Formats: sequence, structure tokens, C-alpha cells
Amino acid sequence: MRVAFKITGTLLGDVYHDLRRPHPFAAERVGFLSCRIGALKPDGLVVLAHEYHTVADADYLPDDAVGAMMGPGAIRKSLQIALSREVCMFHLHIHEHCGRPRFSGVDLRETAKFVPDFWHVRPHMVHGAIVLSIDSIVGLCWHPQASAPLPISDFSVVGAPMRLIREEK
Amino acid sequence: MKERFKRQSFLGHDSDRVLANCTVCLVGLGGGGSHVAQQLAHLGLRKFLLIDPDRVEETNLNRLVGGNAKDATKHSRKTLVARRLIRGIKPSADIEPVSKKWQECHQLLRGCDAIFGSVDTYRDRYELEVTARRYLIPYIDIGMDVHPDGDQFSVSGQVILSMPGALCMRCLGFLREELLAREAENYGAAGERPQVVWANGVLASAAVALFTQLFTPWRRGGVITPYLEYDGNTQTIVSSNRFECMKGKRCQHFLGFRDLGDPFWIPQRISIPA
Repeated sequence: MRVAFKITGTLLGDVYHDLRRPHPFAAERVGFLSCRIGALKPDGLVVLAHEYHTVADADYLPDDAVGAMMGPGAIRKSLQIALSREVCMFHLHIHEHCGRPRFSGVDLRETAKFVPDFWHVRPHMVHGAIVLSIDSIVGLCWHPQASAPLPISDFSVVGAPMRLIREEK
Repeated sequence: MKERFKRQSFLGHDSDRVLANCTVCLVGLGGGGSHVAQQLAHLGLRKFLLIDPDRVEETNLNRLVGGNAKDATKHSRKTLVARRLIRGIKPSADIEPVSKKWQECHQLLRGCDAIFGSVDTYRDRYELEVTARRYLIPYIDIGMDVHPDGDQFSVSGQVILSMPGALCMRCLGFLREELLAREAENYGAAGERPQVVWANGVLASAAVALFTQLFTPWRRGGVITPYLEYDGNTQTIVSSNRFECMKGKRCQHFLGFRDLGDPFWIPQRISIPA
């Protein structure tokens, strides 16, 4: 099944700008994208990023074991966005290196805890998580009918220039 | 880089890979679209979705690139003529010809990386742009017209790049309510519109240049002019004054989350492997 993700270059620029701001105590920042979905023929879907939602400074918890730990306020606010706007939500953060990033063990463990919570408010949508690097992107998508998260195979950064990031076969 | 693309290596060391991975949709394969198809095949594109419901008529042969007298006699489908044209340049091309109105197969457009529209009506342009915006796809519109000018004629045309997030064709003043309304009133009464091969070729070339600037830019920070006006009487193309007036402004028409994606996405429609 093909899962594609599209975001405008302007919006992605805003994401990088926000995530690179220093935090008073957390080593990195996280954020959320609210997105819409389109079906792709013959079998697939495209996730379309609409708006970036920053996580407020006060919604981080001190935790030396991870780069950033969200508090309950961050999750609650993003659940509220999904509930009120009929959108799906994608969590994101940056790994500051070039080349294709990967989800770390901590990333996989933590996202698996909270991403499925979005189904409580938007049960018929996909939700997910994205890791950005300086010049690439990877992502996972939790589909209501899939037993495990699906990898996002195609990313498109829509702007000038266009960037097409395809999963290497 | 393959031998074939060495003369365009300035488009970037991996431009052949970028272009080969890019899927384009061509809506309308007449005078404008057939030129675009030919140029994209030369450029190195290999994934095409070709949409046009029409068949070749004798009156098409004054401008249909790739069309021949036999096609007019047999009334070949324009999609198949375009496929033959592309395959003649790029035998390995992955081509999906769809001989329907694009509105009857609009779901196929969603998987494309760019859409070229060479359509006749403002209504088609408007609906194509709405679809392209909905799925964050750049839309490149080309069109030409011949107007009576006293006892003479004026030839003009436009190429518009409608980028998601940037000014749309309504912002640019190209699509206006009164034009759509007037067209709707005159529906079916427009008759045969004049079209000529050289004007189609100029506009198609400008459209392919915009596409190339977008996907394999050859200058860092190069400026893309999204609204080009063609004056066929003086053989000039200039940036439209309408765009110059709107420069720096934001689109006011495609803002809400409901403007994106399927209005009602139903996950049950998709089969997930266990």
C-alpha cells in the first residue's frame, strides 16, 4: 500500500524554524501537523499537511532520559485540534544530521504510546509521526485498519524547488 | 548520467533521476498538450497520465504534434496518439492513457506530482485548479486565443503556474466570476476556436520551462514568474501586470483545512495487507 505525504515548502520552513528554537530545559522541541487525507488509486492514501501546531514551552516535562518529553497538556491540546477540526495529527521532531533519518528505539516506543490515542477523537483517520533530518524525512502512519504502523513511502515538499523524497527500494 | 541527457546536465547531477521519478498528468492533448507531451518525453519524464476524451479530426492536423493524416481518417484517440509520440522518444515510458473527461477520472490525478492543463473553458480551469490545490499539486495552465481586432485579429495567450500555498488563478484575476458566468450562459455556442501550431508551441515551451525550473532548477534562488502573458502579435512573453500587482500577497481562496483532501475519507475503501 502506498502512503504519500505532502507539505508545502513554506509550511515545512515554519516547522524547522519552530523546532530549532532553544527550549529553557528540553534538549529538543517537538510539534504537531494537522493534516487531511486523500485516497489514492488503486490502493493508497496521501496525507496533506495543513497547519503546524507548536508545543508550548510549559507543556514540556523535565526528563533527562529523552531529548523532549511532552506533558499531558501538549497531548490534550493536539487531541482537541483533531476533535474540533476534523483533521488527522502527525507528531514531528528533528534529528540534526544530513541524510535519511530513522526512528530511534525511544521514538518508536513513545509514539506507539500516544499516536493511537488520536483514534479516541478521530477514529476513522490515520495519524502518525515524522522524523525530519536536515535534508530528508521519514514517517510512520497508524491506519485504523492496520495492525502495525505503515511506512510513508513518498514525501513531496511542494514549493520552488519541488522536492520528491522517495523510499529507496 | 545517461548519454541522452548530457546536454542538459546543467539541470543537476541527478536531474535524470528526479525527472524519471516524477509523475505528470496532462489534461488535454490537443494543440498545447501534444507539444507538452513531446517536450516532457525529450526532457526525460517517464511516468505519464494522459487524459483527453477526444478523437483526432481533420481540423486538428494544423497543430496536433504527433498526429497524422491516418489518425484523422481513423479518428484515433488523442491519448493514444500522445502515447505513441512519447514512446517514440522514450520506449520505456510508463503511460496511462485515459480517454475520458478528466472529471470522470479525477481520482487518478491525486497521485501526480504536477498537472498540465490545456483545456478550452474557464470552468475546466477553475475545477482543475481546485482539484490540484486540494491534493497539493502544482498546476500549470496554458491557453491561447484569437480575438477579432477591427478587421484584423489579435493572438494572445497565457501560462500560469498555480502553486499550492501561492496566488491562485482567481487571485491573479485570470478566473473571474463574470467570465465563468458568461461562459455558462454561452455554453455550447462557442463553436470552433481558432488555434495555431506556433502559438501553442511557444506557450507549451514556456510551460515546460516553468516545470523544469520547479523540479530541476538550474539557478539557486532563481525567480519563477507564475503568470506569463503571450502577445502573439509582437511575439513576446512578459510577466503579467496582474501578477506584478499581487506580488507578495497571499492567496485568499484556498485557506481552510476543508480545502484539502477528500471531503469524506473512508478508511474502509483501502485494503490493508495483514
